Amino acid sequence: VCLPACLFVTLTAAEPWPENATLYQPLKGELQYSYLYILLFLMCGLPVQVFCRANAEYMSPSGKIPFIHVGNQVVSELGPIVQFTKAKGHSLSDGLDDVQRAEMKAYMELVNNMLLTAELYIQWCDDSTATEISRPRYSSPYSWPLNKILAYQKQWEVRRKMNAIGWGGKTLEQVYEDVSQCCQALSQRLGTQSYFFNKQPTELDALVFGHLFTILTTRLTSTELAERVKSYSNLLSFCRRVEQTYFEDKSS
Amino acid sequence: MAAPDELFCWEGDWGLPSISTDCLVVLAYAQFAGAPLKLRKISNPWRSPSGSLPALRTNQKETLSRPSDIIIHLRKQKFNADYDLSAKEGADSLAFISLMEEKLMPALIYAFWIEPKNYVDVTRRWYAEHMPFPLNFFLPGRMQRQQLEKLRLLRGDERLEAGEELEKELYRDAAECMNLLSQRLGSHKFFFGDSPSSLDAYVFGHLAPILKCKLPNGKLQQHLKTLDNLTNFCTNILQLYFPKDGRGEAHNSPRQKPPRRRKQFLSALVALGAMLSYALLTGMVSIQHAHHEALEEPPDLQDIGSHHDHEDEGDG
Repeated sequence: VCLPACLFVTLTAAEPWPENATLYQPLKGELQYSYLYILLFLMCGLPVQVFCRANAEYMSPSGKIPFIHVGNQVVSELGPIVQFTKAKGHSLSDGLDDVQRAEMKAYMELVNNMLLTAELYIQWCDDSTATEISRPRYSSPYSWPLNKILAYQKQWEVRRKMNAIGWGGKTLEQVYEDVSQCCQALSQRLGTQSYFFNKQPTELDALVFGHLFTILTTRLTSTELAERVKSYSNLLSFCRRVEQTYFEDKSS
Repeated sequence: MAAPDELFCWEGDWGLPSISTDCLVVLAYAQFAGAPLKLRKISNPWRSPSGSLPALRTNQKETLSRPSDIIIHLRKQKFNADYDLSAKEGADSLAFISLMEEKLMPALIYAFWIEPKNYVDVTRRWYAEHMPFPLNFFLPGRMQRQQLEKLRLLRGDERLEAGEELEKELYRDAAECMNLLSQRLGSHKFFFGDSPSSLDAYVFGHLAPILKCKLPNGKLQQHLKTLDNLTNFCTNILQLYFPKDGRGEAHNSPRQKPPRRRKQFLSALVALGAMLSYALLTGMVSIQHAHHEALEEPPDLQDIGSHHDHEDEGDG
C-alpha cells in the first residue's frame, strides 16, 4: 500500500538539501500561503528563496500553489512537501507520540477543511469581494480578453466546488460563524502554551500561522474576518510571537 | 408537547438502520441525545421534502438537509449529546470530524460508487431493487454521476477516472485515517468518556457501512477488521442503540425470496396473457367456434370439417 511513498523516500534521501531551493508563488497581494512554507523551512533551518510568478499555478505539477523546486524535483501541496522534507531528514513532529500525532493530523485537516474553504468562499463566492478584489487581482497579469475569461473561469470553478461540498447554500454570515468556530477550537487547543504541542513548533503551528497571518494581513472588502480572528487573543499573540521569532531576523 | 420532528432517511440493510452515511450519523446522534423523531424510512428520494436524504422536517415546516445543520437544530431543542464535553474535547471533535470528511469520505464514495465491480454488483443493484418503478431505471445512474462529480471536485482533478492508482491513493488515506481514529479511541468505549457524543455518531456513520456491507472489492473492510477497537465500537453501538436493525440482517435472505418468486410468477402470467390475447386477436386460435360445435349434434360434423378446412386455407 505504501509502495509509491517508500520509493519517493529512497529517491530523495540520497541528496542533502541544496542551497538553491526555491519557492514559487503567484503575485504578491493575493491570499496565499507561502508564509506557511517559508515558516516550515525556517523552523527546520533550511534555506529557501521566494520567487513570484504570475503563472505559478500552471507551473505547479498538481495545479496547487505554492510549490517548491528543490534540486531536480518539483513538489506541491502541504502533504507531499512535508513528506519531502522528512525524507531529507528534517521533521518537526518526531517528538510526538501516536495520540498526539493523530491529534495534529486531525487539527491540520480542520484548518484545511474550514479555514481554507472559508477563505475561498469569501474570495470568490461573495459577490462584492469577487468583483472588487479577487477578479481584478487574479486577472492583472493578463491582457484583455484573457483576463476576463480566466477570472470568470476561476470563479465558476470555485463555486462548483463549494456546491459539491455542501457550502453552496451557506450565507456569508454562516461562513463567518464557521471561521469563528474553527478559531475557537484552535484557541482552546492552544490554551496558554507557546506552541500547539509541547514547547517545540510542529507543522500544525506553521499551518495555523500561515492561514491566520494571511487573513490578518490581506485586504478584503470588509474587516469582519480579521476582526473575528483578532477576538481570540491567544491566537493573536501566537501569530505575533512566531512573526517575531522567525521573520524579524529575515527583515533586519 | 409539540409534535416530534419528522426525519426522512434511506432504508436499512445488512444489519444497519440505514445504508447512507449521513443518515446513520443523524440517526445515531438522535439515539445518543434521546431525541424523539418520527422516522420515515423510504427508498425514494423524491418523496423527501428536500429531494435528498436525509431530510428533517421541523415543527415550523422548515427542512434541513446537512447532518451538521440537523445536529445543530437538535442541540437547540436541548437534545445535546455533547453537553459533558470540555472545551478541548469539543475542539478535538471538530478536528476529527474534519479529518474524516477529508480522508475517509472520498474513499467511501470511491468504494461504493466509482469502483466498477462494487457499483454494478452491490450499489446499483441495491438501489434498483429498492426504488420504485420507474425511478429504478435512471436514478442510480444519476446518483453515480453526482458522486463522481463530487469526488472530482474534492480532489481538484477534472479528469478523474476509476483506476488502480486513484484507488491506492484513496485507500491509503482512508487506512491512515482509520489508524488515527483507532489510536485516538484506544481502549475506551466511546471517544470521550462513558457516554457517546457527536464525534461517535460521525465515526459510526462512516465506519458502519464499511464494516457491514460485503463488497466484491473489500480492501477497506479488510483493513477495518484489523482494527479491533473500531470494530467493537461499531458493533457495540449497533447492539446498544439499534438492536432491532441488527437482528434484521438474518431476516433479509428469506424476505427476498417471496417477492422474487411472486415477481417471476406475475411476469410469467403477464407473458402468457399477452401471447394468448395476440393469438386470439389475429385469429390463430378461436375458442368460441369449438365450444359452439361441441354443443351441437354429431350430424353437423361435416359442417365442422368444412369449416375447419376453410380456416386452414385462410391461414395457409
